[in-house]
Amino acid sequence: MKTKGTNSFSARRIGAVAAIAFALVATLLPSAFAAGEAFGTACTVEGASTGTSNTSLVCKAGSNGKLTWQRVRLASAYGAPAPALRAPKGSIEFHHWRGAEDGATFDKIIALFEARNPGAKIKQVVMPSGDYTNLGYSKIRTNEKAAVFATFRGSQFVQFAKGDMMTDLTAERFTRQNVIANGLIPGRYEGKQLGIPLHYLFNNPVYNTEIFAKEKWELPKNFTGLLNWCKAAKAAGYTPLAWSGGFRPNAGQMLNSMLMNSAPNYATLEKRIEDIDTGKADLQTAWFKDMAGRYKQMADAKCFPDNATGVTDAAAINLFATGKSPVIPTGSFQMGAIKTVNPAMTGKMQLFSLITTDEKPQYVGIQNNTFILSVNKNASTTDQKIARAFISFMLTGEIASIYANGTSQHVNVLDATYTNQDLINTSVWQSKKTLLAPRFLWLNQGVRDLMEDALIAIVGGKPIDATLEDYSKQIKQKLS
Amino acid sequence: MASSPLKKFSGAARPSFKKRHSIQGSKKALYWMSLPALSLYVFLFLMPVLNNLRYALTKWDGIEEPEFVGLDNFKKLATDDDLATKVLGNNIEFMFWVVIFQTGFALLFATYLVKNTRTTLFFRTLFFFPTILSSVSVAMIWLFLYDPNYGAINTTFKKIGLDSFALNWLGSENSALYAIIFVQVWFHTGQMMVIYIAGLQQIPAELYEAANVDGASRWQQFKSVTWPMALPTSAVVVAYTTIQSFRAFDLVYATTQGGPNNETSILTTMIFQTAFNEFRFGYAASQSIIMVIMIFLITGLQKRILRTRY
Repeated sequence: MKTKGTNSFSARRIGAVAAIAFALVATLLPSAFAAGEAFGTACTVEGASTGTSNTSLVCKAGSNGKLTWQRVRLASAYGAPAPALRAPKGSIEFHHWRGAEDGATFDKIIALFEARNPGAKIKQVVMPSGDYTNLGYSKIRTNEKAAVFATFRGSQFVQFAKGDMMTDLTAERFTRQNVIANGLIPGRYEGKQLGIPLHYLFNNPVYNTEIFAKEKWELPKNFTGLLNWCKAAKAAGYTPLAWSGGFRPNAGQMLNSMLMNSAPNYATLEKRIEDIDTGKADLQTAWFKDMAGRYKQMADAKCFPDNATGVTDAAAINLFATGKSPVIPTGSFQMGAIKTVNPAMTGKMQLFSLITTDEKPQYVGIQNNTFILSVNKNASTTDQKIARAFISFMLTGEIASIYANGTSQHVNVLDATYTNQDLINTSVWQSKKTLLAPRFLWLNQGVRDLMEDALIAIVGGKPIDATLEDYSKQIKQKLS
Repeated sequence: MASSPLKKFSGAARPSFKKRHSIQGSKKALYWMSLPALSLYVFLFLMPVLNNLRYALTKWDGIEEPEFVGLDNFKKLATDDDLATKVLGNNIEFMFWVVIFQTGFALLFATYLVKNTRTTLFFRTLFFFPTILSSVSVAMIWLFLYDPNYGAINTTFKKIGLDSFALNWLGSENSALYAIIFVQVWFHTGQMMVIYIAGLQQIPAELYEAANVDGASRWQQFKSVTWPMALPTSAVVVAYTTIQSFRAFDLVYATTQGGPNNETSILTTMIFQTAFNEFRFGYAASQSIIMVIMIFLITGLQKRILRTRY
C-alpha cells in the first residue's frame, strides 16, 4: 500500500508539474508572441503592456535600471481570476445611471446571469446621471431591494460610505484576483473595499483621426503648440474643441487635463484641491489663478466654440460627430454617444493629450475608475448574496468583455478582450503615464460646482480677477 | 356648512332620546368617514411640514444626527448668503414677468376665443397644446431652438439679416432668465386661457347686449364689463401663475441647471441644490420656509390689488 501510495504521489506530482508547465507555456507564449514582445527582452516605453490579462507582460525597469518586459501582478493577489459566485433564488434591483448608454448591454448580461443562476432575478432601475447624483442616495437608502448599485467616484461614493450603505468586499476573491489593483483605489474607504470600480476610462479629449490626417496636423505636444493648433484649426473653419460650456457636468471634464500637469507631484495637487474644497484656500490662490489664466488663453486662441457658455452637451457631441469639430474635450466615455449620432465615426477616434505646460509633462492623460459597484448593506442576506454573485459575474473576463465591447468602455477587469475597434485603438492608453482624474478629489459638490462655474464664466469672457474673487466669496459663504 | 346634512338636525325642537342617540351615531360615523382623508393629510402633508420646521432649526447632512442650531440658518440666509439674495431676486423677476405676460396673453386669447365655433376650438387646441407636454420635453425642444450656433432662432435671424438679434440665449447672463421666462409663458398660457374662457362664458350675455345698446365700443365693453366680471377668475389665474413661477424647477433644471453664474437659479433649484447636491438639508429646509412665506406674501398682495376674495 505504501509503495503504491508513493508511486501514486509521484505520478500525481509529475502530472501536476506537467500541467503547470503546459499552462505557463500555453498562456505566456501566445500573449507574448501576439504582442511581438518576449519575457526578459529589452523594451523602450516604461509602463507599456501586452494587455490586461494575468499573463500580460509589462515594460518595467529592473534593478539595473534597464527596461525589460516583465510579468507583473496586475491584481492585488496571485491566482487566476475567480469564477462567478452562485446566486441563490430571489429578486433584486440594480440601480445605476447609465441607462441610455449601457441599458441594452446590461439586459443581455442580466439575461445570461439569470440563465446561469435559475431563480435569481435582477431588475435594472435607471435614473439620468444628474438625478442619480442628487437623488440616488435617498432612493437607495430607503429601498432594501436595491441590493446592488453603482456610484460615481468622489463625493457620491464617499456619501454612500459615510452613510454606511455598502458591505465590505475586501476579502472577496473577485476583488483580489479579478480586478486591476490600481483601479480599486476609488472604491476604498477607511481601509475597506466598499465597491469595485468597473470602468477604466480616459477623461482625455477625443480626436477625429481622419480630420487630423486630412489637415496634416500634428498632435500638440505642449501648451504653446495647443494654442497654435487652435488658431490653425479655427482658421481652417473648424471649432477646435467641442466644449459644452452650457452643461457643467461635461464642461468640467476638461478640468482634469487642465490640472494634470499643474502641480509638481500628485500629493501637492491633492493637497491644493483639498485646501480649496475645505475652505483653507480660495480660488484666488496663485496656482488656481494660473490655471484659470490658461482657460482664458485658450479662449483667446479661439479653442472653444462661439458662444461657448451656451453650448449644450448634445450640441457638442453633434459638433464632433458631424466633423465640424476635430476634438471633444470630455473623454472616452462619450465615444458610444458619438457613434450613435454618427456610426461612421467608428474606428476614427483616438485620445488626445491636452498638455497645458511648455515644460516636460509628467502625465500625458487622465484615467478614471468609476461606476463603482457595491452591495447594499441594508438588503437582506439572500439579496446581498445575489448582489455579490452579480458583481462577481460582471468581473469575469467573459462578461466584462461583453460589457466593454457593447458599451465602448474599457473595464478594470482582468482577461477582458476588446473586439470593439475604438477600444482596441485606445487600449494603448492603458499603458501610458496617466493621472487618476483629479476633478473628483473635490468631495464637496457645492464647492466644485462654483469652482467650475467660475472657469466657465472666464471662458465666457468675464475678467479673471473679479470672477475668482466673486466665486471665492460664494464658496466661503457656502462653507461657513 | 350651510348645506351640511347635519343642518336638518339643528332645529329648535329637542329630538327624542332615540333620535338623539341616532344623531350622535351619525356624527360619529361622519368623523370616521373623514379619517382616511385626515390621516393622509396628516402623514403626507402635516407631518412633513412640521418635520421641515424642525429641520430648519438644525444643521443636518441627511446622514448623521441633526444638530440643533436655533435660528442660525435663517440668520445666515438673511445676512450672509449672497447667492440666496440673488436667487430670490431672480425668482421675483421671473414671477413678475411670467404673471404679467401669461395672464395678459391668456386673457387676450380667451377674449377672442370665448365663443364656441370651429375656428375658436381649433385655436384653443393649438394654444393649449404645449400644456400637455412634459416640462422636460419642452426644455429639450427649446434647448435646440435656443442653440446659439445652430438653433432655429439664431439661424432665422441670421438668414434675414438680423444678426444682432442672434444671442447666446441660455448661455449669456443678460438673456438666460428672459429666455426661460418666454418658454414658461409659452408653456402655460394655454392652460390659463382655458380657465379664463370658463370664467368669461359665465358673464351674462345681457350685459354685452346692454352695452351694445348704449353704443359702447369693444374696448369700453372690455373695460366696463369683461374685466370687472373676470376679476375673480383673474385672481385665481394670477395666484396660480405666481405659485407656478415659484415651482418652475423642472424647466429651469432641464435647460440651464440654474446657470450661467446662477442667473437662472430660482428658489426651488437652489433648495434642491442645497439639499441633494450639497447635503445641507437643514439649511435647505430653512430656504423652503422662506419660499413659502414669499408665496403667502405675494399672493396676499395680489389679492389686495385685485380687491377680491377667492
